[in-house]
Amino acid sequence: MTTTAQRVNDAIREAAEASLPQSQKIDFDAVLTSDVGLDSVQIMDLVMEIEDRLDLSVPVEVLAEVQTLGQLSQHLQQLIEGKR
Amino acid sequence: MSLFDKFRPLAEARAGLGDLGVAPGVAPIATPIEDIHSAAEGVIDGRQVILAGTNNYLGLTLDPDVVQAASGALHHYGTGTTGSRMANGSYLAHQALEGEIAAAFGWPSAMVFSTGYQANLATISTLAGKDDYLLLDGDSHASIYDGAKLGNAQTLVFRHNDPENLDRRLARLGEDAGRALIVVEGLYSMLGDQPPLAEFIEVKKRHGAWLLLDEAHSFGVFGERGLGLAEHQGLLADIDFVVGTFSKSLGSIGGFCVSPHAELELLRLAARPYIFTASPSPAVIEGTRMALRKLLAGQQLRERLWSNINRLYGALNELGYRLGSDKPGPVVAIILPDRETALAHWKGLLEAGIYANLMVPPATPKGFNLLRISLSAAHTPAHIDHIIESFGRLRRAA
Repeated sequence: MTTTAQRVNDAIREAAEASLPQSQKIDFDAVLTSDVGLDSVQIMDLVMEIEDRLDLSVPVEVLAEVQTLGQLSQHLQQLIEGKR
Repeated sequence: MSLFDKFRPLAEARAGLGDLGVAPGVAPIATPIEDIHSAAEGVIDGRQVILAGTNNYLGLTLDPDVVQAASGALHHYGTGTTGSRMANGSYLAHQALEGEIAAAFGWPSAMVFSTGYQANLATISTLAGKDDYLLLDGDSHASIYDGAKLGNAQTLVFRHNDPENLDRRLARLGEDAGRALIVVEGLYSMLGDQPPLAEFIEVKKRHGAWLLLDEAHSFGVFGERGLGLAEHQGLLADIDFVVGTFSKSLGSIGGFCVSPHAELELLRLAARPYIFTASPSPAVIEGTRMALRKLLAGQQLRERLWSNINRLYGALNELGYRLGSDKPGPVVAIILPDRETALAHWKGLLEAGIYANLMVPPATPKGFNLLRISLSAAHTPAHIDHIIESFGRLRRAA
């Protein structure tokens, strides 16, 4: 049985591969703006891909606190756990 | 270490635009307009230019009746109210304008704000409270996002112009969708595209949610009486709140919210951007009242505007330009392959005596490099001819 963390991280990886075709390797510790070079619109697009895959909505307020995919994963896991 | 360190990327981006040697002395951002000769002509860099990058859709800024109304109020009431609508800033003229906007829509309540930005800030931050939800289109204007930030509602963003994506988000809310305010625009100012309004309304009704339509760029342009996209599509009865601005088709500055819900009046007691700011000056209000009369009876102005719109859209499509919207409208966004091409177009047009807007990332959706033309009823057929010829020359030179 897959854990919430696995499910979330798989969704993030798939979404990143789909919406960031140029990126070589998905790094969960890279800062999305300065390290990966994404602007706010691109981050929003990426999050929408992830939302579709996990069938949940991420409040904008959460996004403001997120700098890396790892942090996003933590927030998403909390959102999912909170739903139960 | 400085407070200003965080602005370095912005400063570098700004310097980058200057480094390319575009029109020395004249920057494509915050371009100084040295003089105004008419609603459609002015002076930039000492050169007479066609103003094709304003939001003066009906060309009312220099309408003699509008100017006289504003001038009369300026001389009679003075330069400002010096106070909030809640204190000493509510003159009869402010209330009259609110009554006239409400009457135009046939609705019980309208509120006037000092800017269009504050109209969104006030309504969005106040209508959706702590236990409510805001559902914003991804391409929303900054004033909509800032309204969400100022308020306490949980904010969810759906894909631009995607009712199915909105539907999924509302479905996840379940019964809470009854406390969700959806915000869409009648015309998106970056790409000039329009929302699938009927589909959004169908989704809204199915979930029992509320809908706010920002008609900033569509008010005055669409509809028999110029009330906007909802009037044009016969959908006004299904809208909960219309927000608009005075600084585009109405040619002044300020904003409004109008609603079929009489309880909108309660926002006067709670909306911070309404309460904690000075009210619009009497000259602005009286100029706007006259402009509103002209707008509502402005079928001929709209005919001229739409003739210009259809000509330019047709010609640019024929020239093979990629445009931001399939549907013609007052904003013509030309999507160019890169920043250099966009800058070259901006410069080429200015040299040909045409002022347009340059829009580059991160201000644009999808990282597009855009040249934006805004059309006006004040543009003559000769102005449009010249714009089309100039694009033809730029296209051949590319």
